[in-house]
Amino acid sequence: MKNATNHRTKETLLEVSDLRVEFDTYGGIVKAVRGVSFEVARGETLAIVGESGCGKSVTVQSLMGLIPMPPGRITSGFVKLKGQDILGVSLEKANQFRGKEIGMIFQDPMTSLNPTMTVGKQIAETVRVHDGVSADEGRKRAIELLELVQIPEAKSRVDHYPFQFSGGMRQRVMIAMAIACKPSVLIADEPTTALDVTIQAQILRLLRELQRERDMAIILITHDLGVVAQMADKVAVMYAGQIVESGTVDEIFYQSGHPYTLGLRSAMPENDEEKSKVLIPIEGAPPDLFNPPVGCSYFERCPNAMKICGRENPALFNVSSPEHLSRCWLQVPRRAQPGGGGMRKSLRHTLNTADAADAAAETAAEGRVTFFEQPSAPFRGDESGMAP
Amino acid sequence: MLKYTLHRLLTGLITVFFIATITFAAMHLVPGDPISGAKAMSPEIRANLERKYGLDQPVLHQYKVYLTNIVKGDFGISYTQQNRSVNDIIRDHFPVSATLGVLAILIAAFGGVIFGSLTALFRNKAPDHLIMFLVILGISVPSFVFAALGQYGVTELNRFTGKDILPVGGWGTLSHMLLPSLVLGLGTMAFLVRLMRSSILEVMNLDYVRTAKAKGLSPMRIFLGHKLRNAVLPVITVLGPAIAAITTGGFVVESVFAIPGLGRYFVQAVQQLDYTVIMGLTVFYGSFLVFMVIAVDIIYGLIDPRISVAKRSAV
Repeated sequence: MKNATNHRTKETLLEVSDLRVEFDTYGGIVKAVRGVSFEVARGETLAIVGESGCGKSVTVQSLMGLIPMPPGRITSGFVKLKGQDILGVSLEKANQFRGKEIGMIFQDPMTSLNPTMTVGKQIAETVRVHDGVSADEGRKRAIELLELVQIPEAKSRVDHYPFQFSGGMRQRVMIAMAIACKPSVLIADEPTTALDVTIQAQILRLLRELQRERDMAIILITHDLGVVAQMADKVAVMYAGQIVESGTVDEIFYQSGHPYTLGLRSAMPENDEEKSKVLIPIEGAPPDLFNPPVGCSYFERCPNAMKICGRENPALFNVSSPEHLSRCWLQVPRRAQPGGGGMRKSLRHTLNTADAADAAAETAAEGRVTFFEQPSAPFRGDESGMAP
Repeated sequence: MLKYTLHRLLTGLITVFFIATITFAAMHLVPGDPISGAKAMSPEIRANLERKYGLDQPVLHQYKVYLTNIVKGDFGISYTQQNRSVNDIIRDHFPVSATLGVLAILIAAFGGVIFGSLTALFRNKAPDHLIMFLVILGISVPSFVFAALGQYGVTELNRFTGKDILPVGGWGTLSHMLLPSLVLGLGTMAFLVRLMRSSILEVMNLDYVRTAKAKGLSPMRIFLGHKLRNAVLPVITVLGPAIAAITTGGFVVESVFAIPGLGRYFVQAVQQLDYTVIMGLTVFYGSFLVFMVIAVDIIYGLIDPRISVAKRSAV
């Protein structure tokens, strides 16, 4: 496991602030992303997790300019890449950073490659467009890139078509294509969802190796907490178009500060037979984004809901460290906490302590509060466990 | 690929054999024969003629002779046109029909792809609506109407300018070919525009187009490199049947523009029950179409690698 604190001092590459995206549909306006902010530094991996439809893909696609407009619309926010605005720029400007500064790989390698073009040409295309090299040079670079992503017999494979590759191989080709121009940020939108588990481990290992070699930032979109544990330095948990909790991977897993994060962890299977348990699903369904709730978006499903949660959406409050934020009223700053120094306790720490009682009394005098136990530690994918 | 082509050619031959047999049977089922024409003739002359052409032989024997001659490449002599063999008729007039047909197909195919792409690019804007309106006209109005309108237009144009800008009919130079091939290709083109439009719209939202955008390619490059080639596949698939439509539709256009093509002879032969000409031309056209469909399949394989490679290993 990488130590996230090593990266804290590094320069911020990509900064997303208060991003809001809407879609016009026949049923009305869908508010798919409702004020998302995050930062990624060089060499760092940020995992964005959340269930289907929570807006994680829309978030990254809108910063790449990939959402169709109309029906899509970015209503507020900015995205800065190395200090330069990249949100809502002209197509010419967007094409200067797409594929060059930010590479992107997609979920389904079966459909993400052009079936009628050799993989070599598809990889060379990126290089030729951005570095202006000749067809021969492009082909040479494509072979090198195929070797880099560990495709055997790259020299002959370069002339093959996507249908002659397996799923894992195609995802390697996608990666080769995305990193062809040595981008500083790689966005991986569910890169392993369509692959089986052994191939998944290989692809993740490849991504980590490439990241180490090139000091590349990775934004990893996934709904697999196992992948998060294995890959991420920082985690942002998204729910109903908002980030509900963010922090380092350890903070998210061991000091979860939001009931939704805890719910996700309880719903996660264990790899350990002795620890195996009945999975606890989160009851209900995410709110309707045509008409998002006034209060906390998790209110309807939250076992800890209080009256205020239905009335007012909480801001992001600090939990255990300045970078650990949770959008939950239970984390509201308490005025007279001795030695607290503005630092909030994780929910585990509040469990059955005097503090907890205080907090309950103070934050939710009018509502009911139940505290929850942290589920056991999630499966941490260590190298030996995941490597084939 | 070679094995595949041979395989296709062999099945093509079998198809042609069936065409020949069915034509032969159908023709002999029709009452009357080439000799009973307008003039009354004595039974002796009739018997003589029947003997001369072998019509007094049993039908099965005639069928055998007919097949052997086809294999030798001899379609026989016309019953109604003195001393003219079917081979001569084909040799003299097929090049005209073929030129017309090929031009019409080229116009239809390129026009279909270009206008289809335009409608997709300008989706729901003025150019799209205009082209789609014309497409509906092109599909629903028969070609002889366009032929007459075209001739009328050219006549007016020539009179207005006082020069012979385009000939109204006849055959010979490229300017003679322009209007008839356009008229002939129009219906097919309209059909292909619609096909191309829906095909491009379908391809537009596919994952690999998104990948191409994420790579930072220009819209032109995405269109030419990623959308067009994939979108054109269904168009190529229907080119085979389209060629059939155009070659058979050619008869009408040929007669309106007074083009000395094969069509006229075909129609005449059917009216006069000129056995050899009907059979010769049907078999000839049949094999031509079969060959064209095979050619289209081979072109398809060249454009879509999945097909050529799969066939190479499968057949």
